[in-house]
Amino acid sequence: MKRWALISGLHGDLELYEQIQNDLKHQRSIDSLFVLGDLIGPDRNCDALLDRIRNPKRSDIKPDCVYGWWEEQLLAECGYRGDRRAQALRMSDGEEAVNQLMNAVDSSHVPWLASLKFGFIELDCALIHASSADIGDKLTPETSPLILLDRLTRLDVNRLFTAKGGQQFRVKLTGGTIQSHIKDHEGMQKANHAVPKRSVIGIGQQTAYTLYDPATDLVEFMEAGGKAPTSKRQGLGFA
Amino acid sequence: MAHAVISCLHANLAAVEAVLDDIDQQGIETITCLGDLVGYGPQPNEVVELVRQRNIPTCQGCWDEDIIDGLNACECSYPSQLAERRGHRAHHWAAERITKDNKDFLAGLPMTLRRGPFLFVHGSPNSQHEYLLPGMSAFAALERVESAEADTLFCGHTHQPYVRELRDGSIRMKLEKPGTDQSVEQEITLPIRRIVNAGSVGEPRHGNTHATYVIHDEIKEKVIIREVQYDVAKTCQAIIEQGLPEVFAWRLSHGFEYAERADDADHVCERS
Repeated sequence: MKRWALISGLHGDLELYEQIQNDLKHQRSIDSLFVLGDLIGPDRNCDALLDRIRNPKRSDIKPDCVYGWWEEQLLAECGYRGDRRAQALRMSDGEEAVNQLMNAVDSSHVPWLASLKFGFIELDCALIHASSADIGDKLTPETSPLILLDRLTRLDVNRLFTAKGGQQFRVKLTGGTIQSHIKDHEGMQKANHAVPKRSVIGIGQQTAYTLYDPATDLVEFMEAGGKAPTSKRQGLGFA
Repeated sequence: MAHAVISCLHANLAAVEAVLDDIDQQGIETITCLGDLVGYGPQPNEVVELVRQRNIPTCQGCWDEDIIDGLNACECSYPSQLAERRGHRAHHWAAERITKDNKDFLAGLPMTLRRGPFLFVHGSPNSQHEYLLPGMSAFAALERVESAEADTLFCGHTHQPYVRELRDGSIRMKLEKPGTDQSVEQEITLPIRRIVNAGSVGEPRHGNTHATYVIHDEIKEKVIIREVQYDVAKTCQAIIEQGLPEVFAWRLSHGFEYAERADDADHVCERS
Protein backbone atom coordinates (compact mmCIF):
# COMPACT_ATOMS: atom_id res chain seq x y z
CA MET A 1 0.00 0.00 0.00
CA LYS A 2 1.27 3.44 -0.88
CA ARG A 3 1.58 6.47 1.37
CA TRP A 4 -0.48 9.63 1.56
CA ALA A 5 0.66 13.24 1.76
CA LEU A 6 -1.67 15.67 3.57
CA ILE A 7 -1.34 19.43 3.25
CA SER A 8 -3.45 22.48 4.04
CA GLY A 9 -3.35 26.26 4.24
CA LEU A 10 -1.67 27.06 0.92
CA HIS A 11 -3.57 30.37 0.83
CA GLY A 12 -2.85 30.84 -2.85
CA ASP A 13 0.90 30.25 -2.51
CA LEU A 14 1.87 28.49 -5.76
CA GLU A 15 5.58 28.60 -4.90
CA LEU A 16 4.94 26.68 -1.67
CA TYR A 17 2.77 24.16 -3.51
CA GLU A 18 5.55 23.58 -6.06
CA GLN A 19 8.05 23.15 -3.23
CA ILE A 20 5.86 20.49 -1.61
CA GLN A 21 5.29 18.72 -4.94
CA ASN A 22 9.08 18.72 -5.41
CA ASP A 23 9.60 17.33 -1.90
CA LEU A 24 7.11 14.54 -2.56
CA LYS A 25 8.98 13.47 -5.68
CA HIS A 26 11.93 12.61 -3.44
CA GLN A 27 9.79 10.59 -1.05
CA ARG A 28 9.21 6.90 -1.64
CA SER A 29 5.80 5.53 -2.52
CA ILE A 30 3.62 8.63 -2.27
CA ASP A 31 0.59 8.07 -4.46
CA SER A 32 -2.02 10.34 -2.94
CA LEU A 33 -1.97 14.04 -2.14
CA PHE A 34 -4.87 15.30 -0.04
CA VAL A 35 -5.31 19.06 0.26
CA LEU A 36 -7.42 19.65 3.37
CA GLY A 37 -8.79 23.06 2.55
CA ASP A 38 -7.72 26.69 2.76
CA LEU A 39 -6.35 26.67 -0.75
CA ILE A 40 -7.30 30.31 -0.85
CA GLY A 41 -6.91 33.32 1.43
CA PRO A 42 -7.19 37.10 1.30
CA ASP A 43 -3.49 38.00 1.26
CA ARG A 44 -2.55 37.21 -2.33
CA ASN A 45 -4.14 36.44 -5.68
CA CYS A 46 -4.98 32.74 -5.66
CA ASP A 47 -5.76 32.20 -9.34
CA ALA A 48 -2.37 30.76 -10.35
CA LEU A 49 -2.48 28.17 -7.58
CA LEU A 50 -6.08 27.23 -8.37
CA ASP A 51 -5.21 26.90 -12.08
CA ARG A 52 -2.35 24.56 -11.19
CA ILE A 53 -4.40 22.45 -8.79
CA ARG A 54 -7.23 22.12 -11.28
CA ASN A 55 -4.84 21.41 -14.15
CA PRO A 56 -1.89 19.53 -12.67
CA LYS A 57 1.40 19.21 -14.52
CA ARG A 58 2.19 15.73 -15.74
CA SER A 59 4.88 15.38 -13.07
CA ASP A 60 2.59 16.51 -10.23
CA ILE A 61 0.96 14.12 -7.83
CA LYS A 62 -2.68 14.77 -8.63
CA PRO A 63 -4.28 16.52 -5.64
CA ASP A 64 -7.63 15.58 -4.12
CA CYS A 65 -9.07 18.63 -2.37
CA VAL A 66 -11.71 19.38 0.23
CA TYR A 67 -12.92 22.83 1.13
CA GLY A 68 -11.76 24.68 4.22
CA TRP A 69 -12.70 27.67 6.33
CA TRP A 70 -11.59 30.26 3.75
CA GLU A 71 -13.44 28.52 0.91
CA GLU A 72 -16.52 28.39 3.15
CA GLN A 73 -16.33 32.17 3.65
CA LEU A 74 -15.96 32.82 -0.08
CA LEU A 75 -18.77 30.44 -1.03
CA ALA A 76 -21.09 31.91 1.60
CA GLU A 77 -20.38 35.43 0.34
CA CYS A 78 -21.05 34.28 -3.24
CA GLY A 79 -24.48 32.94 -2.24
CA TYR A 80 -23.67 29.22 -2.20
CA ARG A 81 -24.82 28.79 1.40
CA GLY A 82 -28.39 30.05 1.23
CA ASP A 83 -28.96 33.27 3.15
CA ARG A 84 -25.67 33.04 5.00
CA ARG A 85 -22.82 35.32 4.08
CA ALA A 86 -19.20 35.42 5.26
CA GLN A 87 -20.27 36.44 8.74
CA ALA A 88 -17.49 34.57 10.55
CA LEU A 89 -14.84 36.41 8.51
CA ARG A 90 -16.68 39.70 8.84
CA MET A 91 -16.81 39.35 12.61
CA SER A 92 -13.17 38.31 12.98
CA ASP A 93 -11.43 40.53 10.40
CA GLY A 94 -13.95 43.10 9.18
CA GLU A 95 -15.49 44.08 5.86
CA GLU A 96 -12.14 44.84 4.22
CA ALA A 97 -11.02 41.22 4.66
CA VAL A 98 -14.19 40.02 2.92
CA ASN A 99 -13.47 42.36 -0.01
CA GLN A 100 -9.85 41.19 -0.17
CA LEU A 101 -10.94 37.56 -0.25
CA MET A 102 -13.45 38.22 -3.03
CA ASN A 103 -10.75 40.00 -5.03
CA ALA A 104 -8.22 37.21 -4.47
CA VAL A 105 -10.18 34.60 -6.43
CA ASP A 106 -11.46 34.93 -9.99
CA SER A 107 -15.16 34.15 -10.23
CA SER A 108 -14.43 31.40 -12.79
CA HIS A 109 -12.98 29.28 -9.95
CA VAL A 110 -15.98 29.62 -7.65
CA PRO A 111 -18.15 26.82 -9.16
CA TRP A 112 -15.17 24.46 -8.89
CA LEU A 113 -14.60 25.45 -5.26
CA ALA A 114 -18.32 24.90 -4.65
CA SER A 115 -17.98 21.36 -6.02
CA LEU A 116 -15.36 20.39 -3.43
CA LYS A 117 -16.36 17.88 -0.79
CA PHE A 118 -16.48 18.49 2.94
CA GLY A 119 -14.14 15.56 3.50
CA PHE A 120 -13.01 12.13 2.44
CA ILE A 121 -13.37 8.79 4.17
CA GLU A 122 -10.43 6.62 3.15
CA LEU A 123 -10.22 3.17 4.74
CA ASP A 124 -11.00 3.90 8.41
CA CYS A 125 -9.71 7.48 8.24
CA ALA A 126 -11.55 10.77 7.89
CA LEU A 127 -9.68 13.51 6.06
CA ILE A 128 -11.30 16.90 6.63
CA HIS A 129 -10.37 20.51 7.20
CA ALA A 130 -11.60 20.82 10.79
CA SER A 131 -14.21 18.40 12.12
CA SER A 132 -17.76 17.39 11.33
CA ALA A 133 -18.92 19.59 14.23
CA ASP A 134 -17.90 22.81 12.48
CA ILE A 135 -15.67 24.05 9.65
CA GLY A 136 -14.02 26.35 12.21
CA ASP A 137 -13.42 23.64 14.82
CA LYS A 138 -9.77 23.92 15.93
CA LEU A 139 -8.49 20.62 17.29
CA THR A 140 -5.08 20.84 18.96
CA PRO A 141 -3.07 18.79 21.46
CA GLU A 142 -4.66 20.92 24.17
CA THR A 143 -8.22 20.02 23.12
CA SER A 144 -10.03 17.90 25.71
CA PRO A 145 -9.75 14.19 24.84
CA LEU A 146 -13.49 14.00 25.42
CA ILE A 147 -14.00 16.40 22.52
CA LEU A 148 -11.47 14.54 20.36
CA LEU A 149 -13.31 11.29 21.02
CA ASP A 150 -16.62 12.98 20.19
CA ARG A 151 -15.27 14.20 16.85
CA LEU A 152 -14.07 10.68 16.02
CA THR A 153 -17.39 9.17 17.12
CA ARG A 154 -19.42 11.55 14.98
CA LEU A 155 -17.61 10.27 11.88
CA ASP A 156 -17.30 6.69 13.10
CA VAL A 157 -13.65 6.45 12.09
CA ASN A 158 -10.49 5.29 13.81
CA ARG A 159 -8.35 8.18 12.63
CA LEU A 160 -9.28 11.79 12.03
CA PHE A 161 -6.83 13.93 10.03
CA THR A 162 -7.51 17.61 10.62
CA ALA A 163 -5.84 20.88 9.68
CA LYS A 164 -7.73 23.82 11.14
CA GLY A 165 -5.91 23.77 14.49
CA GLY A 166 -2.69 24.57 12.60
CA GLN A 167 -0.44 22.24 14.60
CA GLN A 168 1.25 18.95 13.79
CA PHE A 169 0.44 16.35 16.41
CA ARG A 170 -1.00 12.96 17.02
CA VAL A 171 -3.17 12.21 20.03
CA LYS A 172 -3.74 8.51 20.50
CA LEU A 173 -6.59 7.55 22.78
CA THR A 174 -5.16 4.44 24.38
CA GLY A 175 -7.66 3.43 27.04
CA GLY A 176 -10.09 4.39 29.76
CA THR A 177 -13.66 3.63 30.72
CA ILE A 178 -16.84 5.24 31.96
CA GLN A 179 -19.87 3.91 33.80
CA SER A 180 -23.35 4.69 32.54
CA HIS A 181 -26.37 4.22 34.81
CA ILE A 182 -29.70 4.62 33.06
CA LYS A 183 -33.00 4.70 34.92
CA ASP A 184 -36.18 4.56 32.84
CA HIS A 185 -39.62 2.96 33.03
CA GLU A 186 -38.04 -0.45 32.59
CA GLY A 187 -35.76 -0.06 35.62
CA MET A 188 -32.04 0.54 36.07
CA GLN A 189 -29.44 -0.50 33.52
CA LYS A 190 -25.73 -0.24 34.23
CA ALA A 191 -23.05 -0.45 31.58
CA ASN A 192 -19.32 0.04 31.40
CA HIS A 193 -18.10 1.73 28.22
CA ALA A 194 -14.46 1.49 27.09
CA VAL A 195 -12.59 4.16 25.16
CA PRO A 196 -12.02 2.89 21.61
CA LYS A 197 -8.40 3.04 20.45
CA ARG A 198 -8.48 5.91 18.01
CA SER A 199 -6.30 8.85 16.93
CA VAL A 200 -6.63 12.46 15.94
CA ILE A 201 -3.80 13.70 13.74
CA GLY A 202 -3.13 17.39 13.20
CA ILE A 203 -1.45 17.64 9.81
CA GLY A 204 -0.16 21.21 10.16
CA GLN A 205 -0.59 24.12 7.78
CA GLN A 206 1.35 25.89 5.04
CA THR A 207 4.98 24.66 5.15
CA ALA A 208 4.16 22.03 7.78
CA TYR A 209 2.59 18.91 6.32
CA THR A 210 2.21 15.21 7.08
CA LEU A 211 2.89 11.86 5.45
CA TYR A 212 0.90 8.79 6.42
CA ASP A 213 1.35 5.12 5.67
CA PRO A 214 -2.00 3.33 6.10
CA ALA A 215 -0.31 -0.07 6.03
CA THR A 216 1.96 0.60 9.00
CA ASP A 217 0.07 3.46 10.67
CA LEU A 218 3.27 5.50 10.50
CA VAL A 219 2.81 9.27 10.70
CA GLU A 220 5.66 11.55 9.63
CA PHE A 221 5.56 15.27 10.30
CA MET A 222 7.32 17.17 7.52
CA GLU A 223 8.50 20.70 6.75
CA ALA A 224 8.53 21.92 3.14
CA GLY A 225 12.09 22.02 1.87
CA GLY A 226 13.36 20.29 4.99
CA LYS A 227 13.56 16.91 6.64
CA ALA A 228 11.05 15.15 8.80
CA PRO A 229 11.33 16.44 12.38
CA THR A 230 10.35 12.98 13.60
CA SER A 231 9.91 9.62 12.05
CA LYS A 232 8.34 7.31 14.55
CA ARG A 233 7.40 3.83 13.52
CA GLN A 234 4.17 2.60 14.98
CA GLY A 235 2.58 -0.79 15.25
CA LEU A 236 0.48 -2.26 12.52
CA GLY A 237 -2.85 -0.48 12.92
CA PHE A 238 -4.95 -0.64 16.03
CA ALA A 239 -5.44 -3.68 18.15
CA MET B 1 -36.19 22.61 46.41
CA ALA B 2 -38.10 20.45 43.93
CA HIS B 3 -38.83 21.63 40.42
CA ALA B 4 -40.74 20.03 37.58
CA VAL B 5 -39.57 19.74 33.97
CA ILE B 6 -42.05 19.15 31.15
CA SER B 7 -41.43 18.72 27.43
CA CYS B 8 -43.06 17.93 24.09
CA LEU B 9 -46.58 19.10 24.89
CA HIS B 10 -47.61 18.78 21.24
CA ALA B 11 -50.90 20.66 21.33
CA ASN B 12 -52.54 18.07 23.58
CA LEU B 13 -54.52 20.22 26.00
CA ALA B 14 -56.02 17.39 28.07
CA ALA B 15 -52.55 15.97 28.76
CA VAL B 16 -51.05 19.37 29.61
CA GLU B 17 -53.88 20.20 32.02
CA ALA B 18 -53.55 16.81 33.74
CA VAL B 19 -49.78 17.20 34.17
CA LEU B 20 -50.06 20.75 35.49
CA ASP B 21 -52.72 19.55 37.97
CA ASP B 22 -50.38 16.77 39.10
CA ILE B 23 -47.55 19.26 39.61
CA ASP B 24 -49.84 21.63 41.52
CA GLN B 25 -51.08 18.84 43.78
CA GLN B 26 -47.51 18.22 44.88
CA GLY B 27 -46.96 21.84 45.78
CA ILE B 28 -44.24 22.37 43.19
CA GLU B 29 -44.04 25.98 42.07
CA THR B 30 -41.09 25.96 39.71
CA ILE B 31 -41.78 24.48 36.29
CA THR B 32 -39.54 24.54 33.22
CA CYS B 33 -40.77 23.59 29.75
CA LEU B 34 -38.43 22.22 27.08
CA GLY B 35 -40.50 23.19 24.07
CA ASP B 36 -42.52 21.57 21.28
CA LEU B 37 -45.73 23.21 22.40
CA VAL B 38 -47.26 22.64 18.97
CA GLY B 39 -47.35 19.90 16.33
CA TYR B 40 -49.27 16.61 16.01
CA GLY B 41 -52.07 17.59 18.41
CA PRO B 42 -55.37 19.43 17.88
CA GLN B 43 -55.07 22.41 20.29
CA PRO B 44 -51.92 24.41 19.47
CA ASN B 45 -53.29 27.83 20.47
CA GLU B 46 -54.88 26.55 23.67
CA VAL B 47 -51.64 24.91 24.82
CA VAL B 48 -49.46 27.94 23.98
CA GLU B 49 -51.91 30.19 25.80
CA LEU B 50 -51.93 27.96 28.88
CA VAL B 51 -48.13 28.01 29.05
CA ARG B 52 -48.16 31.79 28.65
CA GLN B 53 -50.88 32.20 31.26
CA ARG B 54 -48.94 30.07 33.75
CA ASN B 55 -45.80 32.04 32.91
CA ILE B 56 -43.73 28.87 32.55
CA PRO B 57 -40.11 29.49 31.44
CA THR B 58 -39.85 27.67 28.12
CA CYS B 59 -37.17 26.99 25.54
CA GLN B 60 -37.89 26.55 21.88
CA GLY B 61 -38.48 23.09 20.43
CA CYS B 62 -37.97 21.88 16.88
CA TRP B 63 -41.69 22.08 16.03
CA ASP B 64 -41.87 25.59 17.49
CA GLU B 65 -38.90 26.56 15.31
CA ASP B 66 -40.48 25.10 12.18
CA ILE B 67 -43.78 26.90 12.77
CA ILE B 68 -41.84 30.18 12.87
CA ASP B 69 -39.27 29.61 10.14
CA GLY B 70 -41.22 27.30 7.87
CA LEU B 71 -40.30 23.74 7.07
CA ASN B 72 -36.63 24.33 6.36
CA ALA B 73 -35.49 21.65 8.73
CA CYS B 74 -35.59 18.00 7.94
CA GLU B 75 -36.85 15.55 10.52
CA CYS B 76 -34.34 12.84 9.67
CA SER B 77 -35.99 10.73 12.32
CA TYR B 78 -39.06 10.25 10.18
CA PRO B 79 -38.98 6.52 9.69
CA SER B 80 -40.58 6.66 6.26
CA GLN B 81 -41.72 9.04 3.58
CA LEU B 82 -45.32 8.41 4.60
CA ALA B 83 -44.46 9.45 8.15
CA GLU B 84 -42.70 12.52 6.79
CA ARG B 85 -45.75 13.46 4.71
CA ARG B 86 -47.96 13.12 7.79
CA GLY B 87 -45.56 15.33 9.73
CA HIS B 88 -45.70 17.94 6.98
CA ARG B 89 -49.53 17.81 6.97
CA ALA B 90 -49.55 18.39 10.71
CA HIS B 91 -47.10 21.26 10.31
CA HIS B 92 -49.23 23.02 7.69
CA TRP B 93 -52.39 22.43 9.74
CA ALA B 94 -50.82 24.03 12.83
CA ALA B 95 -49.15 26.84 10.84
CA GLU B 96 -52.52 27.86 9.39
CA ARG B 97 -54.21 27.97 12.79
CA ILE B 98 -51.63 29.45 15.15
CA THR B 99 -52.42 33.09 15.95
CA LYS B 100 -49.89 35.83 15.26
CA ASP B 101 -49.65 36.55 18.96
CA ASN B 102 -48.84 32.94 19.79
CA LYS B 103 -46.43 32.69 16.87
CA ASP B 104 -44.59 35.77 18.15
CA PHE B 105 -44.39 34.12 21.56
CA LEU B 106 -42.85 30.97 20.03
CA ALA B 107 -40.42 33.11 18.02
CA GLY B 108 -39.22 34.82 21.19
CA LEU B 109 -38.40 31.62 23.06
CA PRO B 110 -34.72 31.03 23.87
CA MET B 111 -32.82 27.97 22.63
CA THR B 112 -31.58 27.19 26.13
CA LEU B 113 -32.32 28.13 29.72
CA ARG B 114 -29.73 27.95 32.47
CA ARG B 115 -30.24 27.92 36.21
CA GLY B 116 -26.99 27.48 38.12
CA PRO B 117 -25.48 24.12 37.18
CA PHE B 118 -28.62 23.05 35.28
CA LEU B 119 -29.03 23.54 31.55
CA PHE B 120 -32.42 23.12 29.88
CA VAL B 121 -32.65 22.38 26.14
CA HIS B 122 -35.14 20.75 23.79
CA GLY B 123 -32.87 18.32 21.90
CA SER B 124 -29.24 18.90 22.82
CA PRO B 125 -27.05 21.94 23.51
CA ASN B 126 -26.02 21.71 19.83
CA SER B 127 -29.42 21.63 18.20
CA GLN B 128 -33.16 21.39 18.81
CA HIS B 129 -33.12 18.49 16.35
CA GLU B 130 -30.39 16.32 17.91
CA TYR B 131 -31.64 13.27 19.80
CA LEU B 132 -29.88 12.35 23.03
CA LEU B 133 -31.11 8.78 23.09
CA PRO B 134 -30.38 6.68 26.17
CA GLY B 135 -28.28 4.28 24.11
CA MET B 136 -25.91 6.86 22.62
CA SER B 137 -22.20 6.59 23.36
CA ALA B 138 -21.61 7.43 27.01
CA PHE B 139 -18.57 9.52 26.09
CA ALA B 140 -20.52 11.47 23.45
CA ALA B 141 -23.34 12.02 25.95
CA LEU B 142 -20.86 13.29 28.53
CA GLU B 143 -19.32 15.60 25.94
CA ARG B 144 -22.71 17.25 25.32
CA VAL B 145 -23.11 18.06 29.03
CA GLU B 146 -19.49 19.00 29.66
CA SER B 147 -19.17 21.25 26.58
CA ALA B 148 -22.30 23.08 27.71
CA GLU B 149 -20.63 23.69 31.10
CA ALA B 150 -23.49 22.10 33.02
CA ASP B 151 -23.65 19.50 35.76
CA THR B 152 -27.09 18.27 34.76
CA LEU B 153 -28.61 18.59 31.32
CA PHE B 154 -32.40 18.49 31.04
CA CYS B 155 -33.66 17.57 27.57
CA GLY B 156 -36.67 16.17 25.75
CA HIS B 157 -37.28 15.51 22.04
CA THR B 158 -37.02 11.69 22.24
CA HIS B 159 -40.44 11.32 23.94
CA GLN B 160 -38.86 8.66 26.14
CA PRO B 161 -38.07 9.71 29.72
CA TYR B 162 -34.86 8.57 31.37
CA VAL B 163 -32.19 9.61 33.85
CA ARG B 164 -28.62 8.85 32.87
CA GLU B 165 -25.69 9.26 35.22
CA LEU B 166 -22.16 9.16 33.79
CA ARG B 167 -19.49 8.52 36.39
CA ASP B 168 -16.07 7.06 37.20
CA GLY B 169 -14.81 7.99 33.76
CA SER B 170 -11.25 8.38 32.55
CA ILE B 171 -9.41 8.61 29.24
CA ARG B 172 -5.78 7.62 28.70
CA MET B 173 -3.96 9.27 25.83
CA LYS B 174 -0.54 9.47 24.23
CA LEU B 175 0.64 12.67 22.57
CA GLU B 176 3.23 12.79 19.79
CA LYS B 177 4.58 16.03 18.38
CA PRO B 178 7.30 16.87 15.85
CA GLY B 179 10.78 17.57 17.12
CA THR B 180 10.74 14.94 19.84
CA ASP B 181 11.04 11.18 19.88
CA GLN B 182 9.29 11.02 23.23
CA SER B 183 5.55 10.66 23.44
CA VAL B 184 3.78 12.02 26.49
CA GLU B 185 1.24 9.81 28.22
CA GLN B 186 -1.61 11.27 30.25
CA GLU B 187 -4.73 10.09 32.02
CA ILE B 188 -7.66 12.46 32.34
CA THR B 189 -10.30 11.92 35.00
CA LEU B 190 -13.77 12.75 33.73
CA PRO B 191 -16.38 14.57 35.83
CA ILE B 192 -19.67 13.07 36.99
CA ARG B 193 -22.52 14.42 34.90
CA ARG B 194 -26.19 13.68 34.44
CA ILE B 195 -28.73 13.80 31.61
CA VAL B 196 -32.41 13.95 32.52
CA ASN B 197 -34.89 13.42 29.71
CA ALA B 198 -38.37 14.63 30.62
CA GLY B 199 -40.19 12.42 28.12
CA SER B 200 -43.36 13.82 26.58
CA VAL B 201 -46.52 15.29 28.02
CA GLY B 202 -48.55 15.36 24.82
CA GLU B 203 -47.27 12.48 22.73
CA PRO B 204 -45.70 9.73 24.86
CA ARG B 205 -43.74 7.04 23.07
CA HIS B 206 -42.36 5.09 26.01
CA GLY B 207 -44.73 2.17 25.72
CA ASN B 208 -47.91 3.34 27.43
CA THR B 209 -50.36 6.19 27.08
CA HIS B 210 -49.54 8.13 30.25
CA ALA B 211 -48.13 11.63 29.94
CA THR B 212 -44.64 11.82 31.42
CA TYR B 213 -42.55 14.52 33.07
CA VAL B 214 -39.84 14.66 35.74
CA ILE B 215 -39.46 16.12 39.21
CA HIS B 216 -35.96 17.01 40.32
CA ASP B 217 -35.18 17.57 43.98
CA GLU B 218 -32.06 19.72 44.06
CA ILE B 219 -31.38 19.12 47.75
CA LYS B 220 -31.76 15.34 47.72
CA GLU B 221 -30.25 15.12 44.22
CA LYS B 222 -33.10 12.84 43.24
CA VAL B 223 -35.07 12.63 39.99
CA ILE B 224 -38.52 11.04 39.76
CA ILE B 225 -40.10 10.17 36.44
CA ARG B 226 -43.82 10.85 36.80
CA GLU B 227 -46.54 9.24 34.70
CA VAL B 228 -49.95 10.90 34.60
CA GLN B 229 -53.20 9.48 33.25
CA TYR B 230 -55.36 11.83 31.23
CA ASP B 231 -58.36 11.61 28.91
CA VAL B 232 -56.61 10.14 25.87
CA ALA B 233 -59.91 9.47 24.07
CA LYS B 234 -60.83 13.16 24.24
CA THR B 235 -57.65 14.21 22.45
CA CYS B 236 -57.94 11.35 19.96
CA GLN B 237 -61.47 12.43 19.10
CA ALA B 238 -60.35 16.03 18.59
CA ILE B 239 -57.55 14.82 16.27
CA ILE B 240 -60.08 12.99 14.11
CA GLU B 241 -62.57 15.90 14.17
CA GLN B 242 -59.89 18.37 13.11
CA GLY B 243 -58.93 16.21 10.14
CA LEU B 244 -55.41 15.51 11.34
CA PRO B 245 -53.87 12.15 10.30
CA GLU B 246 -55.71 9.39 12.13
CA VAL B 247 -52.48 7.62 12.94
CA PHE B 248 -51.70 10.41 15.43
CA ALA B 249 -54.75 9.27 17.42
CA TRP B 250 -53.66 5.63 17.06
CA ARG B 251 -50.21 6.55 18.37
CA LEU B 252 -51.62 8.40 21.38
CA SER B 253 -53.85 5.48 22.24
CA HIS B 254 -50.92 3.04 22.14
CA GLY B 255 -48.03 5.10 23.47
CA PHE B 256 -45.36 4.22 20.95
CA GLU B 257 -44.22 5.29 17.52
CA TYR B 258 -46.20 3.95 14.60
CA ALA B 259 -44.13 3.75 11.48
CA GLU B 260 -44.14 2.19 8.10
CA ARG B 261 -40.62 1.24 7.21
CA ALA B 262 -41.11 0.01 3.67
CA ASP B 263 -40.02 3.15 1.87
CA ASP B 264 -37.15 4.33 4.08
CA ALA B 265 -34.44 3.89 1.53
CA ASP B 266 -35.15 6.96 -0.54
CA HIS B 267 -35.31 9.44 2.30
CA VAL B 268 -32.84 12.23 1.71
CA CYS B 269 -32.03 14.71 4.44
CA GLU B 270 -33.35 18.14 3.50
CA ARG B 271 -31.70 20.04 6.32
CA SER B 272 -30.13 23.22 5.02
